[in-house]
Amino acid sequence: MMQTQKPHLIRLEVNYRGIFQKTLAYHISGDVVYAAHKEGKTAFSNGRYSDDPQRNGIPCANFAYFSKDLSEEDLEAEASASMDITEAEVVVVLDDTMVKGLEPWGGYGIRPINEKVVKDGAVLIVSNRKPADLVAQMEKKNFPYRLAILPGEASFAGLWYFKDDMTDVRVLGAIAKVAPEIASIDTVANYVASKYKSKEKAAAARKAYEEVKISTVNAGTGIDWPYPKPILPGWKDFDEGVYVKGVKRGFQMGPRGQNRNPDFKRGTSKTQRPVVRFDLCTKCTLCWYDCPDEVFDPTTDGLYDVNYEYCTGCGRCAEVCPVEDCIVMVDELKFENQDSPYVLYKKDPEKYVKWAEDKKGKERLMPSPVTGKGSSVSKVETPKPFKKGVVK
Amino acid sequence: MVEEVEEFKNANLYKGVHAVDLEELYTSGHRTCQGCESALVMRDFVKASGPRTVVTGATGCMYVANTSYMTTPWIVPWMHTQLAAGGASAVGMAAGLKALMRKGRIPKEKINVINFSGDLGAGDEGLGGLSGAMQSPYDLLVIVYDNESAANTDIQASGLTTWGAQTTFSPTGPAKRILHERWKKNLAAMMAIGHPNVKYVATSCATFPPTDYMNKVKKALSIGGPTLIHTIDPCPKGWDYHPRYSHVLGELAIKTGIFADYEIVNGEVRYTYDLRNKKRVPVREYLEKQGRFSHFLDEDYEYVQSKVDEMWDEWELPGILPIKAGLKVKK
Amino acid sequence: MVVKQEEKSVFDREELMTGTDAVAEAVKLVDVDVFAAYPIRPYTGVMDRLARFIANGDLDAEYIVADGEHSQFEIGKHASSVGARAFVGSSGVGWLYAMESIGVTATDRLPLVALVGNRALDDPGAFGVEHNDALLVRDLGWLLCWASTAQEALDTTLIAYRVAEDPKVRMPAAVAMDGGYLTHSQHMVRVPTKEAVRDFLPTYDLGNRRMHPDNPVSIAPQVNEDWVMELRKQNYEAAKRSRKVITSAYEEYNSIFHSEYENPFIEETNVEDADTVLVGMGSAAVVARSVANEMRKEGKKVGFLKIRWYRPYPTEEIRKALSNVSNVGIIERNFAMGAPDDGAITMHDLQSALYDSKNHPRVVDFIAGLGGREISKKEVRKMFEMTADKKSPKISWIGLRE
Repeated sequence: MMQTQKPHLIRLEVNYRGIFQKTLAYHISGDVVYAAHKEGKTAFSNGRYSDDPQRNGIPCANFAYFSKDLSEEDLEAEASASMDITEAEVVVVLDDTMVKGLEPWGGYGIRPINEKVVKDGAVLIVSNRKPADLVAQMEKKNFPYRLAILPGEASFAGLWYFKDDMTDVRVLGAIAKVAPEIASIDTVANYVASKYKSKEKAAAARKAYEEVKISTVNAGTGIDWPYPKPILPGWKDFDEGVYVKGVKRGFQMGPRGQNRNPDFKRGTSKTQRPVVRFDLCTKCTLCWYDCPDEVFDPTTDGLYDVNYEYCTGCGRCAEVCPVEDCIVMVDELKFENQDSPYVLYKKDPEKYVKWAEDKKGKERLMPSPVTGKGSSVSKVETPKPFKKGVVK
Repeated sequence: MVEEVEEFKNANLYKGVHAVDLEELYTSGHRTCQGCESALVMRDFVKASGPRTVVTGATGCMYVANTSYMTTPWIVPWMHTQLAAGGASAVGMAAGLKALMRKGRIPKEKINVINFSGDLGAGDEGLGGLSGAMQSPYDLLVIVYDNESAANTDIQASGLTTWGAQTTFSPTGPAKRILHERWKKNLAAMMAIGHPNVKYVATSCATFPPTDYMNKVKKALSIGGPTLIHTIDPCPKGWDYHPRYSHVLGELAIKTGIFADYEIVNGEVRYTYDLRNKKRVPVREYLEKQGRFSHFLDEDYEYVQSKVDEMWDEWELPGILPIKAGLKVKK
Repeated sequence: MVVKQEEKSVFDREELMTGTDAVAEAVKLVDVDVFAAYPIRPYTGVMDRLARFIANGDLDAEYIVADGEHSQFEIGKHASSVGARAFVGSSGVGWLYAMESIGVTATDRLPLVALVGNRALDDPGAFGVEHNDALLVRDLGWLLCWASTAQEALDTTLIAYRVAEDPKVRMPAAVAMDGGYLTHSQHMVRVPTKEAVRDFLPTYDLGNRRMHPDNPVSIAPQVNEDWVMELRKQNYEAAKRSRKVITSAYEEYNSIFHSEYENPFIEETNVEDADTVLVGMGSAAVVARSVANEMRKEGKKVGFLKIRWYRPYPTEEIRKALSNVSNVGIIERNFAMGAPDDGAITMHDLQSALYDSKNHPRVVDFIAGLGGREISKKEVRKMFEMTADKKSPKISWIGLRE
């Protein structure tokens, strides 16, 4: 009996932040198809349709598929031209805070970034972190896979104003290293040089090829994923009439005292989280008042707790807070859990303040009002003196 | 400061942000953008309206982003309605509830009937339906949340988009720098002037000045009959600015005078933020903070400024009535 | 004797009424809570009469003159969502103007009842009957039926509310009638008493889907591909269940009002032993029945089958009725340019229903009476003859000037 040979197929997933990295992700998933074409391979790409309309910050995904021997139609059939995929040989991550999990829409659950990677496949992350720091937030797999890190900060831009910081071509160079069977670095560099008519860009791709660091993540390394994968009900298992019960009304003062949508938490949208110095709070209420995600829980002493499970990290609270350094946005990867900061503060105020200052560090990310113009990092030369008690 | 006006003495207006109800009736867990101002328009109207409220949301961002089946952020009853059906949906609910109460099938009580529609829904396709609702005899409130685009289909121009803005229907290009050449439709005033029976029409911004929007909702609901509130909602996605600055842009929209903040109560105009004969913040400060105007040249900023100046300095009723009677009457 | 007394008690009076009057009377009898009007010929008579009821104090309902058909139907839909019994209606392009709302009313599973006074679609503007307007919603999740007489219009409207609002169904229902014919011709109608109608039709209760502060629900959140198939399947099942509900509603209607609806879905005239049968809907049935009876007297084995409920389609009933018939012809008051065989709409449903039957008959199609053109007895006779003639073409236009 002839055995059917499994066709050659490479599936590439590009995980990115909705809107901020949409153009970037489309550059990458498109260019990588062009490069594979240059080598005579069959390739096509698509975006996850359900991501649209994208909201800024929401985790989104593009896909690209490659084969040496399938026709375009067979490749599309093999890849099932699906809205979402279940397996990928290469998983690209354009913002490293996404290793904390992905929840693109309601009822999808919070899913691991490496959910789809296959045995010996690669997760390629743009990051300035050490591999161990990233793996420490990723799900453990029962097979080995490769972790590739391309040095760099997440490149964010706006809808109309593309920030050309070469992240797109750098990622292409890194893909050539991680999965040369898609396209070699020479092909990629030549393609980039001809498309952009720029030697610098081609050089950037080659530099990224050299810079990307690949390590192996052994089976069993990582964490037990804490979030369940939802099981969708069959058609008989839910009421007819296209309705759902509203969130049950419920409110009391204190942390987590407000009832919230239990089936859609928006926490995976954030790249930063607000760290609150409760000791500096003037109880002006503006953080609570201006929060477009209703994540501040009022407490009986007039302070406002933050529910990080739902916080999308927009930074409005930090912006409206009238007290300098009372609310500061801090890199989400510095945090291990979503625990209530207010509870921590009440338990041991001094310890909390020290912890908060420690997390905040000495750098402040100052975003430009126009998204595409990027952000600037300013050093806080000397830490603000520790103020005890509550400022009036 | 909230004025104690006779017609609103029973409206339980909030006297400052500390008086605002703490309980949420539209709660966390919605797929809105980071920093979304329209989400606050949702949260705050239902806070001001309270739990005895029924809501319809017309197709648009605040429909699709908010409710992902089988989940919802709404605590009060909410139902989707079609893009152009905002006004009609409110009429239908109000009529149904009224009939059921009169016939004794449900207890008699005041149930607030509110529809929210976006600028595309209410201002373009649903304009006729909105007019129909404003002619109806029912107590209802339509909130037009205006993020100046079809934000749900990735930012296409609507009739309420600021002149010159980049949208996916009006990209900037070498042949046409400015493709969106329509001046913003004067929606709230159009409704007020065209429907003399309407007792309350207001414009607002959800976060500036604080509590203003929520109190306007309370006023609209307490005065009775069909009412309308038109909010200006800075949209970090479509206007292209960092999400943390939504409130800054809302404040600037009002302080530059490009969006007039007022209420019309029983035919009487009250400017919430009166910029007549006052120094206004140059409109450029508002526009240049948004990526959608990144293609603007000096002449474009000047043009928009001249139109804003004309509105405040020459209109019979700035922001409301674009007629220059008494100021420049042609012979 | 006892029967006669009972009969007196369920009817209030007999009155000369048009089809639209009869529907208005039914809407009053069901104690409708909300109705919304917008004018377009020929359905609009129903709203004229309902408005008069309001003016005279004969009906306690919220009456809204809408700003257009889209709003009109949305008002009806949302009134229904808060638990109010609602009524709307339209004709021709007005019905099409409401189409978006018509679609969502079905997917929202709200039991709004609407009258369609069938009218040709513009352009050019034409007032006469064609069934394309109502047939456009045949696959959207509406219950859809045709009344041929004023009495049937009244009865069917009452039954439509009963079926639509049944918790096993909860689908909107459209009662169609031929514009210019039934909408405007007057016939004697037995009008039931309010009390009898109340016995037949329970109070509308949307249950756990009702929009009310005491029942906080979110209706129709946005879905992605994870949900749509399951939701569609639920709607299919409701449509399937409606067949049984229709059957039991007619049984009860017959028993309360002593009417003689033998089969709720179809009406057979001499079909049982016929060789040749014409099938049709609406007012053409009146003429066709008369001709079928006439030709029987002449010894010709012909029959007529009227379809009353078009959705749910009476698949089994039609199969059973036509299983021993050799020739079937369809009178179509609709068009379907470029359709298979260049026929009209209902032929395709009928052929599909018969395809799996062992001895399915030969089927021919007659496009007739478009835009309100009369279908005369002479023409019906011709259609019978052509149907019986194996050599006649598959599709024929009847009454067309060559």
